[in-house]
Amino acid sequence: MKSFLLTTSAIVALSFMPAQIAMAQDAQTVVVGTDVDAGTLDPRLTRDTTASRTADLIYAGLVHITPTLEPVPDLAESWENPDPQTFIFKLRPDLKFSDGSPLTADDVVFTYTSLIDPDFNAPARALYTPISAVEAVDPQTVKFTLSAPYAPLLSYMDVGIVPKALVEGGADLALNPVGAGPMKLVSWNRGSEIALEANANYWRGAPEIENVTIKIIGDNSARAQAFEAGDLDVIQSPLSPQDIERLKADDRFGNVITAGLGVNYLNFNTKDPLLSDPKMRQAFAMLVDQDTIVNDIYQGVDQVAHSIILPSSWAYSDTIAQPTFNIEGAVALFNELGWTDSNGDGVLDKDGADLAVTLATHSEDPNRVQTVEYMQAIFESAGVKATAQISDWPSFSTNYVQKSMHQIALLGWLNIVDPDRLMFAQLTTGGSTNWGGYSNPEVDALLQDGRSTLDQAERATDYQAAATILAQDLPYYIVSAQGYQMFYSKDIPVSVQATPRGNLRGLIGFTD
Amino acid sequence: MIAYIVRRLLLLIPMAIGMVVVTFGLLLLIPGDPAAVLLGQDATPEAILNLRNALGLNDPWYVRLWDYFAALLRGDMGTSIFQNQPVAEIIAGRLGATIELAVVSLLLATLIGLTLGVLAAIRQGSFIDTATMLFAQLGVSMPVYWLGLLLMLLFAVQLGWLPAIGRGVPLHEALFAALTGRPQVLWDSVSHIALPALALAANSAAIISRLVRASMLEVLREDFVRTAYAKGLRKGRVVVRHALRNALLPVLSVIGLRFGALLGGAVLTESIFAWPGLGQLTIAAISQRDLPLIQGIVLTFAIVFALVNLVVDLLYAAVDPRIRLG
Repeated sequence: MKSFLLTTSAIVALSFMPAQIAMAQDAQTVVVGTDVDAGTLDPRLTRDTTASRTADLIYAGLVHITPTLEPVPDLAESWENPDPQTFIFKLRPDLKFSDGSPLTADDVVFTYTSLIDPDFNAPARALYTPISAVEAVDPQTVKFTLSAPYAPLLSYMDVGIVPKALVEGGADLALNPVGAGPMKLVSWNRGSEIALEANANYWRGAPEIENVTIKIIGDNSARAQAFEAGDLDVIQSPLSPQDIERLKADDRFGNVITAGLGVNYLNFNTKDPLLSDPKMRQAFAMLVDQDTIVNDIYQGVDQVAHSIILPSSWAYSDTIAQPTFNIEGAVALFNELGWTDSNGDGVLDKDGADLAVTLATHSEDPNRVQTVEYMQAIFESAGVKATAQISDWPSFSTNYVQKSMHQIALLGWLNIVDPDRLMFAQLTTGGSTNWGGYSNPEVDALLQDGRSTLDQAERATDYQAAATILAQDLPYYIVSAQGYQMFYSKDIPVSVQATPRGNLRGLIGFTD
Repeated sequence: MIAYIVRRLLLLIPMAIGMVVVTFGLLLLIPGDPAAVLLGQDATPEAILNLRNALGLNDPWYVRLWDYFAALLRGDMGTSIFQNQPVAEIIAGRLGATIELAVVSLLLATLIGLTLGVLAAIRQGSFIDTATMLFAQLGVSMPVYWLGLLLMLLFAVQLGWLPAIGRGVPLHEALFAALTGRPQVLWDSVSHIALPALALAANSAAIISRLVRASMLEVLREDFVRTAYAKGLRKGRVVVRHALRNALLPVLSVIGLRFGALLGGAVLTESIFAWPGLGQLTIAAISQRDLPLIQGIVLTFAIVFALVNLVVDLLYAAVDPRIRLG
């Protein structure tokens, strides 16, 4: 007992001794804080942000998506479209994986063949299904044949190329990744940190920053404090509003806000008897106070949205406008549709039934929960009985919205690098993620044309025409365009470039 | 004694079976499909169905339960749906960190709790007593999550004495390193564990100190204590050898039970301090519906908890000669 007491007191005493803690800013190392651990480091299977950001450092794709969302050559030197259904990519000469083995057309063919194989279960498979064949013409040339013209494809061709020989030899890239990107894996302590070092075999040469460490801290405030304490050099969204104010005021840190690639939106179930009339959806949409939601709940990091096309997109037009916040207008519209407060109880009713609706969202995102609660209050003040239903993501998504059991659900979409990504599967008749059951032949035709033509001006016209109809029909009401925020230590020895997806190449010296 | 231990260990088997069945039932009841979570926002319904079949999630529940038991008998806890690694391997890689944190916290809580409790009891009504009980009140009512952030703010952000996050090398390796002439390794490990251990220990320390105080006050009024004083023994000796030893019994059983609470509290503490243990893994596994991993973690926690309580029962016998195990 005595020795036990002695040992423990020694430990306690030691733990209160002041000491010099090594700061994160070891000259050529950048330490990035993140909220979740990567699920896998196989670029074909990534589904969380950490995995895709890390994979973007370890691997390189045929193209690289710039901060302004333009596909530029990465492993591919150039490409051409002899016809709208054929893409021919020419690889750079002498490409190498980080282990020194050559990267050829065979590796590209292997990567894309597995991506579209249904049994491989790639989460992003749906984005590549128009590819009907991919073949190596020669060791430096790859030919993609599409079943139909598919303009957005180029935006998705940044997926990392994996080494065929290694994978076929049984290597598990999920744990031991080998790619041809600017960094390579040194160690991965699951749930704790991922350590990377520069890859001299990258075709542009090794990046200026020699080491990148990604530390996983689940709690937003704890991550912000670790950043302030100097344990981290960079933190990025998601951040807590109260930390943002404090960090902004600290002149040791740089701060970037850029438009992200996500939206928060209301998904109206158009099959629900109450919501099948577009006018009802318009009336409900007029009860959404976007300004308060964006400025007070999202602290101005997000932007008020006016249409389904992101402001950062080449297809954006400021002439398209969804209904805006107008309680009186909404009540007038409800009255016009026969919903009046006939019994004077403060709730609108029709044929003896009260106007009641369920607002749903998932519990993981506190901002969305707050938004739903705020909307509930406004709905009530307009004479609508609103119930809030909040459950965790797995049950909310699979057992509720995806089974079209919702009325109005607050949701988000991410990674909208192309307008097609937010509209085609979601809003065409019978689309795979059309949970609200929306169907409009005119929109179907425009969205089909939008993905079929390679002419960007014509595509923009298609998407603007579709967005104009959607702003009236309102299967979706886009509440806000997500913003993306990053804080970084000014001690990082290279110039820092944020990207809408939060990718990290802009922290290691590659700012394009 | 040996027979007793063997019997207690054998009792683990029905307990483990019960745990598996209960967890399995709960997981059947909570809605949510790991296949859909795994495939993410772009998944088509066909892709989800395809993956469910591949994962065996479409089999009837009794087939899945039977398969799980059959595999468990072979020592196979299944494969994590999300990490695609054997569950046993994942848990083994992280259990050490959680146990280390829980054990250090328990030692810390016991040390603080005993010291404060004894001081408060022998100086009943004094300033020390009031201060101790105030601390106990705070410790019981402060959520570990909040305390963790406060400690981090003070010691890491403001004072810069201790690192905010992460873990050094495991403590037993660090002790070895210190013995072989590299004390900075031990310091690194200790400085990393200090804040999470303290945050996690506060609640238990408060409970233990209150209990020790109450228990000591009772024992100090017993006749044998008066006898000890009458024999002319010094106060320190009476308090430690006579009173404390008798007061310790109820405390010991609480310490054993606290270990379970510490394992639970570690889940929150770990995610604040980025401690690479089972806690963070548990949160992720539940939010992703990674069924085999949740099963494995619950089973592991249950077994660890049962073993700790066995040790506590053995200590009982060591502290109190009246208790004979057999």
